[in-house]
Amino acid sequence: MTDFGFTLSRSSTLDLQKVDEGRFEQLCRLEKGAAVCIGCGSCSATCPAGSLSGMSVRKILLAVRRGQDIHRMLQCCMLCGKCTMVCPRGINTRHLILSICSIYD
Amino acid sequence: MTERFTTGFHPFVIPFLAGMVFVLGVCLIKAVIAVRELDGTDRKKWFLSLLHPNLIVKNTIDIILDCLIHVRLWKRNRLLGFMHSSIAFGWFMIILLGHLQVLMFFPERLGTFYYPIFFDYFIEGGQHTWISRIMDGFLILVLAGISLAIIKRFWSRIFGMRRTTRPTLYNLIGLYSLWAIFPLRFLAEQCARAGDLSVSLWWAYSIALCIFMVVLPFGRYLHIPAEMLLITFRNAGVGITRPHKGMARVQADSCPNCGVCIDACPMNADPANLKDSTVYLTRQFRRGNRERVREISDKCLLCGKCTSVCQVGVDGPRLRILARAARKYNIAPDFSDAGTATVVRAENKVLYFSGCMTALTPKTGRSVESILKKAGIDYEWMDRDGGLCCGRPLHTAGRLKEASQLVRRNEELIIGSGAAVLLVSCPICYREFKENYRLPGIRVVHYADYFCELMDKGLLCFEKSDACYVFHDPCELGRGCGIYETPRKLISKAAGIAEAPKNREESICCGGSLGSLSLDFSRREKITRASLENLYGSKADAIATACPLCLATFSRYSDRPVKDLAQIIDEQTEKI
Amino acid sequence: MNGNIVIIGGGIAGMEAAKALLALGHTPILVEASRTLGGHVASWHKLFPDMSSAKNLTARLQSEISGANIFTDTRVISLNRLVDGYSLKLSNGIVINASALLFATGFNLFDAAKKEEYGYGVYDRVITNSDLEAWFSGKEDRRVPKVPESIGFVHCVGSRDLKACNGQCSKVCCATAIKQAIEMKERFPYAKVYCFYMDLRLFGKKYEDFYVNAQRDYGIQFIRGRVSEVGETFDGRLQLKAEDTLSGKPLKVCLDLLVLMSGIVRNRSIEELSDMAGLETDSDGFLRSADNEYAVIESNRPGIYYAGACTGPKTVPETVAEARSAALAIHSYLESL
Repeated sequence: MTDFGFTLSRSSTLDLQKVDEGRFEQLCRLEKGAAVCIGCGSCSATCPAGSLSGMSVRKILLAVRRGQDIHRMLQCCMLCGKCTMVCPRGINTRHLILSICSIYD
Repeated sequence: MTERFTTGFHPFVIPFLAGMVFVLGVCLIKAVIAVRELDGTDRKKWFLSLLHPNLIVKNTIDIILDCLIHVRLWKRNRLLGFMHSSIAFGWFMIILLGHLQVLMFFPERLGTFYYPIFFDYFIEGGQHTWISRIMDGFLILVLAGISLAIIKRFWSRIFGMRRTTRPTLYNLIGLYSLWAIFPLRFLAEQCARAGDLSVSLWWAYSIALCIFMVVLPFGRYLHIPAEMLLITFRNAGVGITRPHKGMARVQADSCPNCGVCIDACPMNADPANLKDSTVYLTRQFRRGNRERVREISDKCLLCGKCTSVCQVGVDGPRLRILARAARKYNIAPDFSDAGTATVVRAENKVLYFSGCMTALTPKTGRSVESILKKAGIDYEWMDRDGGLCCGRPLHTAGRLKEASQLVRRNEELIIGSGAAVLLVSCPICYREFKENYRLPGIRVVHYADYFCELMDKGLLCFEKSDACYVFHDPCELGRGCGIYETPRKLISKAAGIAEAPKNREESICCGGSLGSLSLDFSRREKITRASLENLYGSKADAIATACPLCLATFSRYSDRPVKDLAQIIDEQTEKI
Repeated sequence: MNGNIVIIGGGIAGMEAAKALLALGHTPILVEASRTLGGHVASWHKLFPDMSSAKNLTARLQSEISGANIFTDTRVISLNRLVDGYSLKLSNGIVINASALLFATGFNLFDAAKKEEYGYGVYDRVITNSDLEAWFSGKEDRRVPKVPESIGFVHCVGSRDLKACNGQCSKVCCATAIKQAIEMKERFPYAKVYCFYMDLRLFGKKYEDFYVNAQRDYGIQFIRGRVSEVGETFDGRLQLKAEDTLSGKPLKVCLDLLVLMSGIVRNRSIEELSDMAGLETDSDGFLRSADNEYAVIESNRPGIYYAGACTGPKTVPETVAEARSAALAIHSYLESL
């Protein structure tokens, strides 16, 4: 490739029309609660793994929604259920996490 | 007493013999499969147990008590107990005495197998022996049991069963043939004794036996031979280690489909969950319906009540955990080198592990701390600022490998702290510590037991309040770890205590259990309310429990105050 | 029937309705369970967005309804439906036959102790919005430190929270939090004040200005993240955990005072009464209006009307407007008999 002395970086804009929503739809079929998250952050704040590893259910769910890769975000979930306890929308976050684990390859 | 026919044979014995060969063959094959499926060490243990004299005696006694006399069923429901033991024990005695009779009077016919079954046809005047008279008594007993069974089939409520299973086609065929066997035998015998040697009744009798034996391996009646194998497995210390295989298969086959677990299951406060009790799990296991097994397994709260009421000891929660473990996930966490923010040192002290959930019920942790201070105990709080999870939630979710990674990591931290005692307030953690941790030299104790000891040593000075509490036994503490008495002892020292209609082993899950994977928050309310109703059934004006999850769940809907046991003790003790 | 009108509840809704009915020539009977009139507003210090005194409002209303028959410290203990009206028995023994009833029974504040993770009743430095208002009005409260260095406000305590059995927005807490944060900042100019919110719902007239003032003139920090739990540090300060969702990082902060914005939940003490009257309850637990667009003040029973927070969270101006329109509706109803 010819070196022009600069590179073209990919646009950092999130083009909603191009977002792959397939996984999110698949997730909603397994766990209906996925659709009602309001992103309040309770789950991430209470997460025992959060302060050490940055584990955040809110971010993972948002990433699934936006069709982004989540493989490295779930490394530390202990399924302890604190996030389920605090979720104001009553989302079964443990089932959500297990469902996410099962739909990615 | 003479033989009627020199041949000693009639074609009507053929259905019986064919059924017998069939059922023995199938059961043998099933047993061999189950034994082959065991882990190597378990299989070895089992073989050795069959040679061990003590275990041989124990197996025999257990089989007599459980399979024939149905002692456990008697304890639960006398009418059902009588019905089952009259049929099983009566039938067994008829077979045993029948063979004895042939052995005594016609030993050369013993090899035919069918002689004792059709004795009165082949032998003239057989009814006059003392053995025959006893056998007739047992036959009457069996007939009484059968009549009860017929009444129960159409009117189960008089047996105290609100809900029961709907039988499948195989079970119906088995049931009706079982009902037919004994009246037919009775009639055939009476006719033969009166000199009427027409064979139609004997044919019918033999065919009924044949049908029963042919459908036996495909329906609920498989539990009769399976339970015998189960007893030997259990006595040998064989556990459920593989989903659908080995011990899991034998347990599923041992389920008699009696449906006692349906009424016991706390989820059935909501009729939508009626088909998710353990009896349906074992049924779907046998049918190989993986999809339903998955649904039933995921939904269960793992409260263990079905096991506590089960007559054969089917371990519903364990079967489900392994069914969950059979699932493949493409993303797996890895805790082999998970760290914590702080490493606690507690040389020879008490190390207090409060668990994740207690961070959301801070009164409990503070109360435990305050009580320890009052009693002058030197302690460190391991996870005051958060820590690793105990591993139980991963374990119950079936992620066994990841759970054991967490367990190993926590073991290092706890052993590394140098503590002498690990004090636990959350029963969910406590059960995991008890069952899956190896902490040599460290005593693992739940605070109910520990504070009771402190009380007995005179280190806690109680002042009794006027309040009256009903203690809700948390599933993991009671059924899970067998701690029932120390919490009650502590409460009775601190305040009045009353009992709910269902308590101890029969306590009703609060509905907040982490055991269920798929049960939505909105679908748990009915379960919680049903559990609360049971507690309201006592004369107490407040509710006590010893689990952060029960506490949070009850507080949500309860009209009465809900407190953790530690809080009550703390409120009613003073520094000496 | 005799044309009697009974107003149940002597908060601003009941009082405003009584005032309007007096002006229309009726003599309403006002029944209030507590000893004084004014309801929740009477215990409030200032109202938003104009920061006018709440006490002045209730005192003025009280002076304007002296012509009505007022029973304080009185409950309705039974209510019977008659062919053309209602028969009520009061706890003071009086029996009233009424042609029309107005439910102005208001609301309860959510019991913050139910959210144990926020530490109300556990830690010394946690109070609720109503505790703070009482303190503003001069009531002693040892939980409020002399000179707090940092103060936190938690929005949505017991509202928009299925775990607290109330999924609905309480509507007024966002503006109340801003108001209280400003009042605290005025008292303690050097204190850091944080508001932890999920969504800021500042829908009313001039509320947005209020918000801007709080940010610009008072330096109040708004952090988008719901508080998950509160702990205590070794030196007895509060430690709060939330996620700063805008930066995507878990956040913790040490505080000297935490104020929980308890939400508005249904008044449970009127359940029996509304059952006796045959009134329906809506899915949010409040009384069900005939419809929620055009007939909020009408019930499913003839002659029974609603005003104020008995049908759901309301602001002061909304409550007052409903009270007036309910008075007019009752007037027309009695005319039509």
